Amino acid sequence: MSLFALSPLAARLTGSDLLATLRTFSAFTRAAARQQAEQRSELLAIAFGTMVDVFARISIWRSVYHGRQHVAGVTEAEMITYALIGATLLSHWDGALIVREIGKAILSGQIGATLMRPVSFPGALFAEQLGPRLLQFGFVCLPVITILSAVYGIAPPASLGHGLLFLVYIVVSTTLLFLIAIFFGLLSFWVLEAHSLEWFMRGLTALLSGGLVPLWFFPPVLGTVAHALPFAWITYHPMACYLGQNDLLESATLLVGGCGWVAALAIVNHLLWRSASRHVTAHGG
Amino acid sequence: MRETLMLWWQLMRLRARARLQNRLSLVLAWISQGFGYAGAFASIWVILNRFGGLGGWRWPELAFLLGFQIFGYALGAMFTFTQFRFMEEQVRDGEFDMLLVRPVNPWSFLVFSGIDLQYGSHFALGLVLMIMAGLQLDLDWDLLMILRLLLSLMSAAMLTGAMFTALGACAFVLGRSRFLFGLYFDFWELSRYPAIIFGLPLQLILLTILPFSYMGFVPVSVLLGKPVPILGDAAPMLAILAGPITALIAAWIWRACLRRYQGFGV
Repeated sequence: MSLFALSPLAARLTGSDLLATLRTFSAFTRAAARQQAEQRSELLAIAFGTMVDVFARISIWRSVYHGRQHVAGVTEAEMITYALIGATLLSHWDGALIVREIGKAILSGQIGATLMRPVSFPGALFAEQLGPRLLQFGFVCLPVITILSAVYGIAPPASLGHGLLFLVYIVVSTTLLFLIAIFFGLLSFWVLEAHSLEWFMRGLTALLSGGLVPLWFFPPVLGTVAHALPFAWITYHPMACYLGQNDLLESATLLVGGCGWVAALAIVNHLLWRSASRHVTAHGG
Repeated sequence: MRETLMLWWQLMRLRARARLQNRLSLVLAWISQGFGYAGAFASIWVILNRFGGLGGWRWPELAFLLGFQIFGYALGAMFTFTQFRFMEEQVRDGEFDMLLVRPVNPWSFLVFSGIDLQYGSHFALGLVLMIMAGLQLDLDWDLLMILRLLLSLMSAAMLTGAMFTALGACAFVLGRSRFLFGLYFDFWELSRYPAIIFGLPLQLILLTILPFSYMGFVPVSVLLGKPVPILGDAAPMLAILAGPITALIAAWIWRACLRRYQGFGV
């Protein structure tokens, strides 16, 4: 049985196994992207909605910065960039919808059929989510950034090194958001209330990822706690790197920390999925 | 008329009884949704805590706005959201066609048979925020003020129901409508903030074509005695009339779309 690369068991795969796994993964991703591309009106609505969301964030920062040079060492221009890039490339994806998908699959019994597939359910789900995500990068995020940056301006990365690190941060951010969603989704095998888990995840992500408000504006205690939690790598740490709030060494160290969270969550999810699979067999799906 | 009212009541009772069969699930839904909204509101609190205000609004004023917005929304959504969000599926699967041959008004049947009890935390959070903020703001709560608050909440609820009805009706013509709900929530989130922070064009849009400002900013400004740009002295009246006016427009849209409906069912 081939497993997707996210699983820790991927390390045991031979070269040809890994290639076959990547091919399967890519097929899932392409199929999901094609499906999304067919729904043009939906894509247009998403683009328009994202534009409204980013515009609201920019309006907030312009309003609170009115007449101030900088707050907590951050300027208005940097906050506009934070809103523009953070709300598109990093926190635009509603990861909580994955929790809903898993919940639906469990309630409908469809999850039983996934056990017969030669791929792991979380891996297939990631591939299916990644397709539309990549499509939206190109057809939603980049146009919104282009249009709004032409109006409000956008700060470039602090340095070439910060820019390159930021690209890796995007990968870590997307993977972490997915893994967190899978974690909450898999809990619904025991809680059976995916809808509630979805809302718990949404509440935690809204505050702790720094999606709307960067952690440097948080009260000290809350900020310290939020800095260490994996949610911070979804938007806050990547944007702090882009804006040069940390030097290159610190940014790289934090990136390693993010990779550590990816590895930890991948292992936890793998164990949860293994346990959940037994759960499904016990009840006959 | 009495029979119709009894039918609506019975439909609501049946739905509520079915939902109350699993009380733990309902309580969990309340807690989790309250947690979700609290997370979003906490982010707004962080901004106001750090910057002192937003568009001239201090935290207690904005907390009152957030409480009002979520309470009014829940009041309208409990009768309409779930029902009309799934309109696309009902149309596609032919379920709506079955409804058309029943001797009841399809809109009323959908609304009352689908009443959703999952908004407990919305009401609780809204009430707590409004009461706590109201105490801090030292408002003069006379009978007229309470009446104005209740009518404004009713108007906001009607506005919510009207917009969901109009969005759901799009499924009759387009065959799809669900994606429009995503767009709705992008605009709805704007009503959490004082509209004064947005540029003039968007302020105008939020007061006319997409009247989200009447779900929070306009009525709360009136209650708090804050000036309402563009509307001026007409704000108190429009804060109460916006809901009924939008409901009439939504009823017209619903009928017009229903007339064009030819069925998409399989």
